[in-house]
Amino acid sequence: MNTITAAGGTGRREKRGPVLRKWVLTLVMTAFGLIMLLPFAWMISTSFKTPLEVFRFPIQWIPDEIVWKHHEKVWTGPGNFVSYYVNSLKVSVISTVGAVAFAALAAYGFSRVKFRGRDAMFFIYLSMMMVPPQILFVPKFVLFDWMGIYNSHLALILPGMFTIFGVFLLRQFFITVPHEISEAAFIDGAGHPKIFWHIILPLAKGPLATLTILDFSWHWNDYENALIFLIDKNLYTVPLGLQNFVLENSVDYNGMMAAATAAMIPMILVFLLGQRFIIEGIANGAVKG
Amino acid sequence: MSRLKKGFSGNNPIGYLFVAPSMIGIGLFYLVPAVMSFVMMFTDYSFMDKGGLHFTGLDNFNRLMEDASFHNAVGKTFIFLMTVPVSILLSFPIAYALNQSVYWSKLLRTLYFLPYIMNGVAIAFVWMLLFHPGQGPINATLRLIGISNPPGWMAQTDTAIFAVAIIHIWIMVGYNMIIYLAGLQDVPKELVEASRMDGARFWHTIRYVTVPLVSPTTFLLLITGFISAIKTFGIIQATTGGGPGESTSVLSIYIYKTAFRYYEMGYASAISWVLFAIVMLVMLLNWIGQKRWVHY
Repeated sequence: MNTITAAGGTGRREKRGPVLRKWVLTLVMTAFGLIMLLPFAWMISTSFKTPLEVFRFPIQWIPDEIVWKHHEKVWTGPGNFVSYYVNSLKVSVISTVGAVAFAALAAYGFSRVKFRGRDAMFFIYLSMMMVPPQILFVPKFVLFDWMGIYNSHLALILPGMFTIFGVFLLRQFFITVPHEISEAAFIDGAGHPKIFWHIILPLAKGPLATLTILDFSWHWNDYENALIFLIDKNLYTVPLGLQNFVLENSVDYNGMMAAATAAMIPMILVFLLGQRFIIEGIANGAVKG
Repeated sequence: MSRLKKGFSGNNPIGYLFVAPSMIGIGLFYLVPAVMSFVMMFTDYSFMDKGGLHFTGLDNFNRLMEDASFHNAVGKTFIFLMTVPVSILLSFPIAYALNQSVYWSKLLRTLYFLPYIMNGVAIAFVWMLLFHPGQGPINATLRLIGISNPPGWMAQTDTAIFAVAIIHIWIMVGYNMIIYLAGLQDVPKELVEASRMDGARFWHTIRYVTVPLVSPTTFLLLITGFISAIKTFGIIQATTGGGPGESTSVLSIYIYKTAFRYYEMGYASAISWVLFAIVMLVMLLNWIGQKRWVHY
């Protein structure tokens, strides 16, 4: 009798131990995670404060009075974020659509069609992946000036439509699709374009979504290309517009944080909607830039 | 059967059609510029006087030898590379903890990962205010815990590089964590349990079982981390623009300034190939190091 209760007792304690440990670990990790996010909380909180409250310490996370005028300034003032959003959306959407389409075609060619020189061509892709963007900025500047697309959205869109990483990502997936599937379709009379469109693409919905979301976020966040290739303020994308806002309002800290919030909102939405795909892509070797 | 053979083996020219659009784009926006840059590094090409190309041989490289700003940029770049091991060290415990049983682990993963996907310029401006030397919350906190004379961060030449490094670490921790989580999932649970059964302490299991088993991941993170640290531009350009003085002028900033402020494009090309050489060197060192301490 004694032994049974003793055994039962340890059994319960063993059960309770891990549960308690799990809770402690969860709380500790949540606390650290929230500390990581303090800069974002501070940004949002500051964007609703009065100038006098910005640096009040201890930090007043919830202002006495919610002030909307900084957000109004960002969205309606001169050089407002509406036009930056329109520009960024235009550049990001067109670039991403082109990038995904061309990458899917190329990935199919490199993985499922045999042709002379294929491996040599793929080697060029491999080697171009090593080239840091810093090498390309100067010649692209000269090239775009010569092509007449410097200081236009085309300077961002045209190069943005080609992604080496995308070709790699999709090729990696296409390779895993069993060849019997396309061979069967081939015997039924389908050619490569049909197999690509009706068989391979529908199977690759996951990787295509991953590439779309990652590519879109890179274009949305792209600062360096816009900084180098755009001059006119009416062409500015969100990162440049934000920088411009900060330069023109260098002492308006509340406005700066409202502008920073405006720049981040779309990424928060994209991330919440496509988190699974982003994390999958990152784990599959996607590196920013 | 002959139809099948024609479609899948030997030489099917339709393949060229599939890769052509991408190939043209990659050729025009990667290959051609890369070749142009290679040629330009041996010239004194300046965008201001469009006089065509004058080949100056190795003049640009002789100039590099004497250029104190360039030496400074190389030094600052190497200081900035220290962010890589630091962010890897910080991310491993987080990944390890999240891989253990915690509640709402997906939500936690999101919390830690959020900085990585946010707009870098926006992040940079937030941190610029957090680091405000006089009244910023960071220095206010430091004063609170008894540091009466906290650093000037981005306003001070000897601390500015560390301020931008901290931002970069904060961004990269989430990325490293995601990769570590993927790596940890490949660690066989039986191995960890077996070592626990043998009476190994918690720390010993980590030190002698988990860490060696994720060493390929660590190696991967070192390479990709170094390469992305070398290329980092946005958070530095937006916050300090390389200053104060030249205190945060890493190579990517120095190249940008040389090319697009002073329009010395030939010289900037030469510097950009030095940056490329450093990337290659890092990869070579990592590759040699990998043989020594990666345990599969």
